[in-house]
Amino acid sequence: MALDQKSPNVLLQSLCCKVTGKSEAEVAHQFQYAVRVIGSNYAPTIEKDEILVTDKIKKELLRQRRVEDAAVFSELHKKLQGQGVLKHRWSVLYLLLSLTEDPRKPPSSRVGPYSSLFAQPLPRDAHSTPFYCTRPQSLSLSYGDRLQSGLGSGPGPGLGSSLGTSGISSLGVYSVNGPTPTPQSLLAGQPQSASLASRLAWALPVNSAPSAAMAPPTARPVPSPKLSRSRRDTDTTGEVSEASLVRDILYVFQGIDGRFIRIDSKVVLSKSLRDLSSRLLDRAFGLVGQSFCAALHQELKEYYRLLSVLHSQLQVEEEQITTLSSDSSLTLRRLLVWMYEPRFRLRTLAALVDFCQGRKGGELASAVHAYGKTGDPQMRALIQHVLSLVSHPILHCLNRWIYDGELDDTYHEFFVASDPNVKTDRLWHNKYSLRKSMIPSFISMDQARKVLLIGKSINFLHQVCQDRTPPGKITAVSKTAEDPKAAAELLCDLEGAFQEKIDAAYLHTSKYLLDVLNRNYLLLEHLQAMRRYLLLGQGDFIRHLMDLLKPELARPATTLYQHNLTGILETAVRATNAQFDHAEILKRLDVRLLEVSPGDTGWDVFSLDYHVDGPIATVFTRECMGHYLRVFHFLWRAKRMEYTLTDIWKGQMCNAKLLKTMPELSGVLHQCHILASEMVHFIHQMQYYITFEVLECSWDELWTKVQRAQDLDHIIAAHETFLDSVICRCLLDNNSRSLLHQLRSIFDQIIEFQSVQDSLYSLRLQEEERRRKREEEGEWGVTAEQEAEEKRRIQDFEKTVPKMSSQLRLLTHFYQSLVQQFLVLLMTSPDESLRFLSFRLDFNEHYRAREPRLRASLGTSRGRRLSNI
Amino acid sequence: MASAANANINAARETMDVLLEISRLLNTGLDMESLSICVRLCEQGINPEALSSVIKELRKASESLKTSENCTS
Repeated sequence: MALDQKSPNVLLQSLCCKVTGKSEAEVAHQFQYAVRVIGSNYAPTIEKDEILVTDKIKKELLRQRRVEDAAVFSELHKKLQGQGVLKHRWSVLYLLLSLTEDPRKPPSSRVGPYSSLFAQPLPRDAHSTPFYCTRPQSLSLSYGDRLQSGLGSGPGPGLGSSLGTSGISSLGVYSVNGPTPTPQSLLAGQPQSASLASRLAWALPVNSAPSAAMAPPTARPVPSPKLSRSRRDTDTTGEVSEASLVRDILYVFQGIDGRFIRIDSKVVLSKSLRDLSSRLLDRAFGLVGQSFCAALHQELKEYYRLLSVLHSQLQVEEEQITTLSSDSSLTLRRLLVWMYEPRFRLRTLAALVDFCQGRKGGELASAVHAYGKTGDPQMRALIQHVLSLVSHPILHCLNRWIYDGELDDTYHEFFVASDPNVKTDRLWHNKYSLRKSMIPSFISMDQARKVLLIGKSINFLHQVCQDRTPPGKITAVSKTAEDPKAAAELLCDLEGAFQEKIDAAYLHTSKYLLDVLNRNYLLLEHLQAMRRYLLLGQGDFIRHLMDLLKPELARPATTLYQHNLTGILETAVRATNAQFDHAEILKRLDVRLLEVSPGDTGWDVFSLDYHVDGPIATVFTRECMGHYLRVFHFLWRAKRMEYTLTDIWKGQMCNAKLLKTMPELSGVLHQCHILASEMVHFIHQMQYYITFEVLECSWDELWTKVQRAQDLDHIIAAHETFLDSVICRCLLDNNSRSLLHQLRSIFDQIIEFQSVQDSLYSLRLQEEERRRKREEEGEWGVTAEQEAEEKRRIQDFEKTVPKMSSQLRLLTHFYQSLVQQFLVLLMTSPDESLRFLSFRLDFNEHYRAREPRLRASLGTSRGRRLSNI
Repeated sequence: MASAANANINAARETMDVLLEISRLLNTGLDMESLSICVRLCEQGINPEALSSVIKELRKASESLKTSENCTS
């Protein structure tokens, strides 16, 4: 067919002109009507079966007793088939069939009033497009008038209000606008059928516009005019037959104006749903929105199918002229009954659509689920069905996330969010998070967290641990069939099967992750190594290291070289039990020199270091390592004090016998001894506290927690608690700054004392040396002046003794005041173990006797404790 | 090719003739022009049910207009 591609609208218009024989301007209304009809019925409801159509044609011809014509038709049809020009043969044939008129039939003289009705202008539609959204406002047939004129037992406004309260959708106020000339002939008597028709018309589902784009609703159905229950076939009276009314109502259900019943609503339900679903397929609504629309489509299809069945039945009955109103006829009542349930479903769906407006993803599923909490079993079943379809994409996403660790979420509607900017080293902590708004209401927070953890673990395994085992090996996955039925089943049994699924996946994945970490990356070994090296757990190694480092670190900090110190470290490692450690661990042990401030000795800048990388760095983050280094520094200093005092004590022991030869020094030496013992006691107690009460206890806690941990989050949390408690108890946190300061001063005093004592001893040794030499030389040949000189020297020496003594006394005093202050601060500390420490430090109340503040602050509690002993 | 175009036009004309015959047999009341418009609409995918109801409406409307004109005139 040499088709010039004229648009359908143009063709339609010329058809209108042709059929009515009028010019274009006059057929404008008809054209609009035609456009509307065609536009709303874009899909045929019958089968596209050419053979069926040709059979029907033949049957029709035979019915008209035109056998030879039937034969002619067959021939023509064969010819048509042979030509193969037409593409939509069945369409044309169907058209011809439906336009067939039995020459025996009287020309159908349907009712006169068509003229007035049909010829009325469709206001404001003259230039609108076929799919117009705004509706005319006039043409409402005033309900009040019609009811009052003779209905009597009609429903009245009560019906409207009762319908308004029943059902979910809102019913607007009936309009009384736009008086229209009501064809008088349409008003007729009988209340019953009228009430039925009006009830049916009222029952037209009313919907508020589901989207803002549509005009706001002032929907009200137009009640039908009263009619008489007449025969089904054509009547020549001025009344409208029930059949045509039924047909009209069917049209209205589809969204087209019927002959008598016009829809005054702005939007009719089914059309609105259809429009909405087509608009919602817009990508902004994501997968869940799309499945929601698919569910709506299904319902709409069912609805249309029912309508077309009714319609075809109506047509069948129309063709059978002989049947009068029989039992199988399609009356208004039957229509009402049959349409009840579909209308209910559509109304529920319309309300659901309203409710879910503007949401997407998990929110949409939550909204649907919330809507399903109703007592009405029909509605619940319907909503459940919709819910199972809607949640299917979410559950699919969930499955993929749990078993593959992949997040395929282009529309951001899943409740696990991934931050693409985060790099691998922060993957565990920062990359994945929960989108709380998208968690559907049928998944609890706990389950959601577990889901997040499972997917995170899998991703962690893949990317950070470089472990590529297929997820099938991690969890024994019985991949349920990925179809909506499985989703529906899962939803029904949320407590049981779903929870089990998640728990199983969680346990397996976490266990696998921990296994990998421990086996391949030696997480627990590294944890222990931290304890041994950075927290000075490996005693022999630390001691040896300190011995080796002492001469080095006494030098100013600027003269230290890292490689020297590293060499010393290695020597220490090789010489002690540390050499038997795992090579991985020893590899990471290193020396670090801190920043040098002027006046620092080596002691102030030295630090050990432990390198972490890869998955271990997830547990030992940079902050953690910072904490470790601070604690190391503190412990190292305390240890150094211990060593200093050891040296002091050694010196004292060695030089004790010298007391005999120089009795004038006995006072000074005695003072030294006493001070040294005080200091030793103090440091002893501090070390005890640090080592046993702080480190060992916290470590024990950490170790049990780690052994019992079920997933990596537990380990990380336990580790952080451990570090926090260590820092707090080692006086390194912000609250204990004054205590720390005090302690440092005490340590400084100890060092000071050491230097004083050293100078004392060296002085004495010198003196000793000289005297001995003198003695060795003997008294022979000693001149008088030499002797005088000697005497003078001895006198000088003796004068220095009281100086030293006073110096020592000052030192002692200062030291003791520092300790007292320290004790006061300890007593007032909120931490209980620190208070116990103060008790131990001052067990014999030596300081309490001197320090009135201690006495006052201790008060009765201390006394009670003492009395208990 | 001119011949191919001619062949097409001939085939089209033949088809239209056949359809007109069928239409006459079935007494649809469509003349050649209307029929050709209808065929073109169907070929473009318009629903034949809707189209047939439109045509029926148009006919009735035109009839009723005629009768009203007759009455008034």
